[in-house]
Amino acid sequence: MPPELQDIELWQTNRRTFLKAAILTGALSQLSFLQSCSDDEIEKGNDLLTGEQVTIIKSVLLILFPNDGNGPSADDLHSYEYIMWVLKDPGANQENNKYVIDGIDWTNEASEKLYEEKYINLDEKQKEKLISKFLEVDYGHDWCSILITLILESLLLDALYGGNPDGIGWKWLNHSQGFPQPTEELRYDNLLQTVRLTS
Amino acid sequence: MIDTKLKYDVCVVGSGAGAGPIIYELSKAGYKVLVLEKGPWFKTEHFTKDDMTATRRSIYTPNLKEEFHVIESKNEDGNWDGIPTHESGKKFWNGNCVGGSSNFMSAYFHRLKPKDFRLLSEYGEIEKGNIVDWPIDYNELEPYYTKVETVVGVSGKVVPNKQLEPRSTPDYPYPELITNKIADWFTEAGAKEGFNITPAARGIISVPKDDRKACYLSNYCGSFGCSSDGKSSARAALINDAIKTGNCFIQPDSKVFHLETNDKNEITKVWYYNFAGVKEFVEAKIFVVAAQAIETSRLLLMSKNPTSPNGVGNNSGNVGKNLLFSSIATGSGFLEFKDFTPEKIAENNNPMTFVDRTLIDFYEIENSDEQTKIKGGIIDFLVEHSNPMPKAMRNKKDGERLLYGSELKTKLFDYFTAKKKIRFEAFCDWIPNDDCFVSLDETHKDKWGDPVAKIRLGYHEQNKIPGNYLADVAKKIFTKMNAQEISGATSKGPPVNLQAGGCRFGNDPKTSVLDKNCKVHEVDNLYVTDGSFMPTGGSVPFTFTIYANSFRVADKILARLKTMR
Repeated sequence: MPPELQDIELWQTNRRTFLKAAILTGALSQLSFLQSCSDDEIEKGNDLLTGEQVTIIKSVLLILFPNDGNGPSADDLHSYEYIMWVLKDPGANQENNKYVIDGIDWTNEASEKLYEEKYINLDEKQKEKLISKFLEVDYGHDWCSILITLILESLLLDALYGGNPDGIGWKWLNHSQGFPQPTEELRYDNLLQTVRLTS
Repeated sequence: MIDTKLKYDVCVVGSGAGAGPIIYELSKAGYKVLVLEKGPWFKTEHFTKDDMTATRRSIYTPNLKEEFHVIESKNEDGNWDGIPTHESGKKFWNGNCVGGSSNFMSAYFHRLKPKDFRLLSEYGEIEKGNIVDWPIDYNELEPYYTKVETVVGVSGKVVPNKQLEPRSTPDYPYPELITNKIADWFTEAGAKEGFNITPAARGIISVPKDDRKACYLSNYCGSFGCSSDGKSSARAALINDAIKTGNCFIQPDSKVFHLETNDKNEITKVWYYNFAGVKEFVEAKIFVVAAQAIETSRLLLMSKNPTSPNGVGNNSGNVGKNLLFSSIATGSGFLEFKDFTPEKIAENNNPMTFVDRTLIDFYEIENSDEQTKIKGGIIDFLVEHSNPMPKAMRNKKDGERLLYGSELKTKLFDYFTAKKKIRFEAFCDWIPNDDCFVSLDETHKDKWGDPVAKIRLGYHEQNKIPGNYLADVAKKIFTKMNAQEISGATSKGPPVNLQAGGCRFGNDPKTSVLDKNCKVHEVDNLYVTDGSFMPTGGSVPFTFTIYANSFRVADKILARLKTMR
């Protein structure tokens, strides 16, 4: 858990305060008529995330690293696929992984408080506004910070780990990768086993 | 697989720069040498330029949940607060594997200067600083620096300088490495300020040596293992050759936890946990500990015996005391491509990251009275390492504000494509003091149930003076280079990769742990050969000196072994 969240009571209070403040500051008045998200717009779920959670995180990733004409977007980088690999990686920070999943639900929770709608039913501007509001509170800021770190990893780590397809991130940033590059046997999670089998 | 029933001539705990020369020299002399290394045995072919392995998951160092330290820092009330590193996330490990952290060093190799050996005599006492002279002088170590240059492999070019140390050879045995053209920019900018910037020696070979290939300019050095063996790690330069003798036995994944003594206070057995966590022991005639300064002190303190109730070698209470780091000042600036002609940009805008330039003019600094001098240090100049993840992570924020969206992408693109970050690292003496030491933490245990090392990080205010002076010098040079966003100052936090002391050597057993030959005063068959022996650290990175001293001690042990045959 991030240091600022170690005091769980304080953290809960902060979350409640944020949600209450958001309502009191009139965010509700910004409610617009919202179409319900149709079933075909909901992504497929998997063993870790529901379809709705997948839809939310993919949307947030595109807000954090958009398709804006300047280089690859989170979609282009396969950031979601990379994050799914991280969520299953025993060597990853497990507290961060739990935080990533919890944060998806907090986003929805914030959306319902702020707009009385699920996140997936918001229009793009509302989603962006929600994320900018989210960044103003510690837990939202930390969740986005973790996601951005994961996006950067999907931008610049080897494609073996699920992101950076065909070195698209390296090409964008004019980065010359080092050699030798990792192989399946030498990727980080196989390395120690490979070493001990050959020593 | 080692034979635990065999009595080896020498058992070495650790396999880094302090252990490598011992392993190499004794094996080549025909003695049976067993090496117990806590970490795994990465071979050259296992190293890749994978940021995930090296910097994101840090696979070359232990998992902090299993092995950690407790770091004591002074709080605002003046009290010492201890925080386990598994809570802070700040690792105090370097490389834990065969060859140790020498596999992952940047390998800037500077010799100490003669005055470093007599800091007290040359510069006098410092209040609350435990400054002493070394029990040996530069002349005693000089032949071993030369040996390191040849055997381990150091490349460079000697250029006359008033601060240059005496040498028995005219130049380095390996020619300078190829550098980025930007190296000349540093030299030219320094000259405009009247400074004599010269080539920096590197512990990297520029031409092949035996089975080692030359540096192939991968541009991934610091934090990464070398895939050509061009980097002069203890593993590539010494241990691989030792193994070829048939006398050297490497036992990886073996964590030593106890040195057992007999009633004569001689070490008889070394106890360790094997890969499966089972306790085993080995016997030898002579034992050498070189587990890097903090862990060496920890092992000695943990080794309580009837003859050494406070830990081996600690009957005078000196083990762990006077821990040292390099006092380091760092800084940076940016060369923004828009400020230079396309021709100038083309000169340096390539992946090549070697600069290999240093400034030693200020190894001594004249005080304003021009009558007295204080100890200064060196400044190494470099450009940012190639691996991209640290660069990207530095761009996550603008001040304290988290960036995202197009603003983040624009900043990243600009950082990677429109500028080059230049850096300096200045090295000065870390003043040894009573508040910088290693002890055992009886509350926190590692995965084997043993007390972890508790490190009190007392910082002497004197450290800032030469560091800030050198930072100002470097910033003048950066200004002359037309760099932007120039910053730099002495870092209060110690560089974790530059640790020494804790078992200082000296002639008086009451004030030192080791004698001048790095044998533990109280124990007839135990030597310590990592950086622990250093009573003061000098104003250069330690690795070159640790290698040289280990070759020196190897000669002393060889002489001992001949009498024991």
